[in-house]
Amino acid sequence: GVVYSAARALVCSLCPHVGVTLLLLCCFQALQQVARRTIYSSARRQVDNKVPLKQKAFQEDNGMPVHLKGGSVDALLYRTTMALTILGAGYVVYELVKAAYPQKKD
Amino acid sequence: MAHQAHAYHMVDPSPWPLTGAVAALLMTSGLAIWMHFHTMTLMTLGMILLLLTMYQWWRDIIREGTFQGHHTPPVQKGLRYGMILFITSEVFFFLGFFWAFYHSSLAPTPELGGCWPPTGITTLDPFEVPLLNTAVLLASGVTVTWAHHSIMEGLRKQAIQSLALTILLGFYFTFLQGMEYYEAPFTIADGVYGSTFFVATGFHGLHVIIGSTFLAVCLLRQVQYHFTSEHHFGFEAAAWYWHFVDVVWLFLYISIYWWGS
Repeated sequence: GVVYSAARALVCSLCPHVGVTLLLLCCFQALQQVARRTIYSSARRQVDNKVPLKQKAFQEDNGMPVHLKGGSVDALLYRTTMALTILGAGYVVYELVKAAYPQKKD
Repeated sequence: MAHQAHAYHMVDPSPWPLTGAVAALLMTSGLAIWMHFHTMTLMTLGMILLLLTMYQWWRDIIREGTFQGHHTPPVQKGLRYGMILFITSEVFFFLGFFWAFYHSSLAPTPELGGCWPPTGITTLDPFEVPLLNTAVLLASGVTVTWAHHSIMEGLRKQAIQSLALTILLGFYFTFLQGMEYYEAPFTIADGVYGSTFFVATGFHGLHVIIGSTFLAVCLLRQVQYHFTSEHHFGFEAAAWYWHFVDVVWLFLYISIYWWGS
């Protein structure tokens, strides 16, 4: 409608490349549809302030260090990261030793 | 629970400095291995490890500050010093590339035709997309200041809107610059003009992407009520970084795009 025409005029003046303008217009149309749906749902769904809850959880005297204090997801992420660290350190030593002693083909 | 008799932050032991250091080792060695043996595994592994480290380290800082209350005024002062010193180091980083540009352009060699721009180089018109880019970044400087004042005045919706607009302007700059790179009549391999142009503007573009990401994290935090009207240093650090990126662009525009054309 009117909004679409105005947006098209604005986009054409902003973007010097026609092909990209068309792509942006397609995205804008899709965005309009999503926005129409979201406006109704956002009137009902609000982001709640969970900070006091988090403050209580992270100030609990359980002796856990901050990088594990969030629960089991923290532990999973930590173990994955540490595994990659150790594997990576080993792999880099292997690759550097391999690069330092090249196998010459006869 | 032991209570401290001082206002400073004694951090819990953390694995992230180690994982970050190993990530740096993997990325640098991986780069060398890629150049010589054409395999990207080591470098990719390093980048994944770097992303994991950054996510968890900064997540922990948010927990320590926002959820545990460790960022007292003296601690915040230290964080401010830290951010300012980091930005200063980045200024010196860009200074090097400006030095390279002026070294080559103030006394152009006979190989270039004794002139700047060198013979055969078709420069970009500084009054077309580059000028638009300048307007976009200057506007984003206004919107980020609007966001700051909104946060300080406790205007939640306005803060979210102005911060989102700042990020959109950042994305628009990156998009326009990407188009310029694609359409440019010269490449990075076109002598010292190409080298200085693409290395200087390329690193700037990378910093725009980093700055936009930092601001996006701040937007998520603002939506989740992390910032108060008195205490929002994460946002201030992002805003400082964004202004720095804007100023670097202004120097790039004046030196390379305008004077150098």
